[in-house]
Amino acid sequence: MSRALDRIGTWIGWAFFADLANGLALTFGYMFSKSVTMQYPDKEKWLPYSRYRGHHFLKRDEEGEIKCVACELCARICPCYCIEVIPYEDEKGNRRPAKFEIDMARCLFCGLCEDACPADAIALGQQYEFSSFSSRDLVIGRDDLLGKPGKAMTGGGVVAARLNTEQDVLVETSEPQGYNWWRNIRRT
Amino acid sequence: MELVVAVGLIVFKVALLIAILLLLPLPLTWLERKIAGHMQQRMGPMRVGWHGLLQPVADGVKLLTKEDHIPAEADRFLFKLAPILALAPPFVVFVAVPFGESVSVLGTEITLYVSNMNVALLFVFAVIGIEVYGVIFGGWAANSKYAVLGSLRTCAQMISYEIPMGFAVIGVVMLAQSMSLLDIVRAQANVWNIVYQPVGFFVFFVAGLAESQRIPFDLAEAEGDLGAGFHTEYSGIRFAFFMVSEYAIMLLTSVLAVILFFGGWNGVLVPLPPLVWFVLKVAFFVYVFIWFRFTFPRYRYDQLMAIGWKVLLPLSMANIIITGVAFL
Repeated sequence: MSRALDRIGTWIGWAFFADLANGLALTFGYMFSKSVTMQYPDKEKWLPYSRYRGHHFLKRDEEGEIKCVACELCARICPCYCIEVIPYEDEKGNRRPAKFEIDMARCLFCGLCEDACPADAIALGQQYEFSSFSSRDLVIGRDDLLGKPGKAMTGGGVVAARLNTEQDVLVETSEPQGYNWWRNIRRT
Repeated sequence: MELVVAVGLIVFKVALLIAILLLLPLPLTWLERKIAGHMQQRMGPMRVGWHGLLQPVADGVKLLTKEDHIPAEADRFLFKLAPILALAPPFVVFVAVPFGESVSVLGTEITLYVSNMNVALLFVFAVIGIEVYGVIFGGWAANSKYAVLGSLRTCAQMISYEIPMGFAVIGVVMLAQSMSLLDIVRAQANVWNIVYQPVGFFVFFVAGLAESQRIPFDLAEAEGDLGAGFHTEYSGIRFAFFMVSEYAIMLLTSVLAVILFFGGWNGVLVPLPPLVWFVLKVAFFVYVFIWFRFTFPRYRYDQLMAIGWKVLLPLSMANIIITGVAFL
């Protein structure tokens, strides 16, 4: 009996376009919900997580000496051959890089150089805003690499776009666990 | 002197009408993109002007400065004629459409319509039928498969939906005892036609959706399967002509729905100026058009034909018969 009633109800609903009305109600409801757009260059920007692979940087040890031993393993493992290292011997008799150049235009940010490095000297940091009008400007030398920002301490938050996050600043965000992208999206 | 004033008034009204119709697509495109964005939880245009308000102007400048490309194999004369043929009829139709009774400016009564034809409804349907020639010529002249397919579809769609649309308004004509749009609105002073003619309104509105080539009936320019139909080969200002014509027809369908079924400028409950009521009602229907576009998927071609001939036509026939019997 109830099944018959259900079927009649379905037919009545079909005749008066209940399904179309449902769809219209859904889109109307969505129209007044908050949008999920992140207005990146204009208003907000995203902070990378600590595992994010951005621009490379070279590390120094406790004495301020460059950690790199110019073993050229990173240059060997690099799948796109974008690292060029030329070693020299410094006053203390250590092997150090005289030239350490990364062609960012060719780099694919795989992070293999970081894995291959025996001296924990190179890593991929948090900087991701380094687009350029000329690919020649994307060849970064040793001294520039030493000055690049390191790994992010916290990440995932969304901050004002004008904030400069280059110099290892710890940014207080309201979302320490990262921005919840799903918060305005309805899931049933 | 009287004659000069009368002629001047008509010229002024026509000029004003043309200006409004040419400029209205600008806010409408902005509105459409905004509503689309928010329905999909995006923001829509945000960067040109406050909340992207100047975006339509930027788009207009872009369209005007773009290369006006004509395909090598195209029939150049028809190709140039088609956008004009598509643009002119919606503008001509508005001559017969009243926007209100009259207002008194500086002591003289000025009517809010260009002409009060006694066969205005017939005129509207006759002239709007010409618009399809623009689409057919555009598709044919471009000499492209997609364009021809698109315009063939439009052609079939127009023929099968113009008939139920025409039948749907016969009920209204019977109620008002007149084909003048002004008389039709006057006849609805107490009760709107939607109360007596819900089926007629349904048929009219669905056919109107098809007529203005909006989703769910925008088969002529189905992006998914046809590129952009007859739009495919058009660029620059000629493409803009087609767009303006499309928006004008959308506006016309809304205006006709309001005049024929929703009491025109007759208000209800809230006492507002008649023109404000009219604009509010039209704006509601324009919103419904946009709302439909971002809610429904497109009908398949055979479904479109089935709806036209198997549902809307019998419904509109039945509507005429029932209205006639009830009227007797």
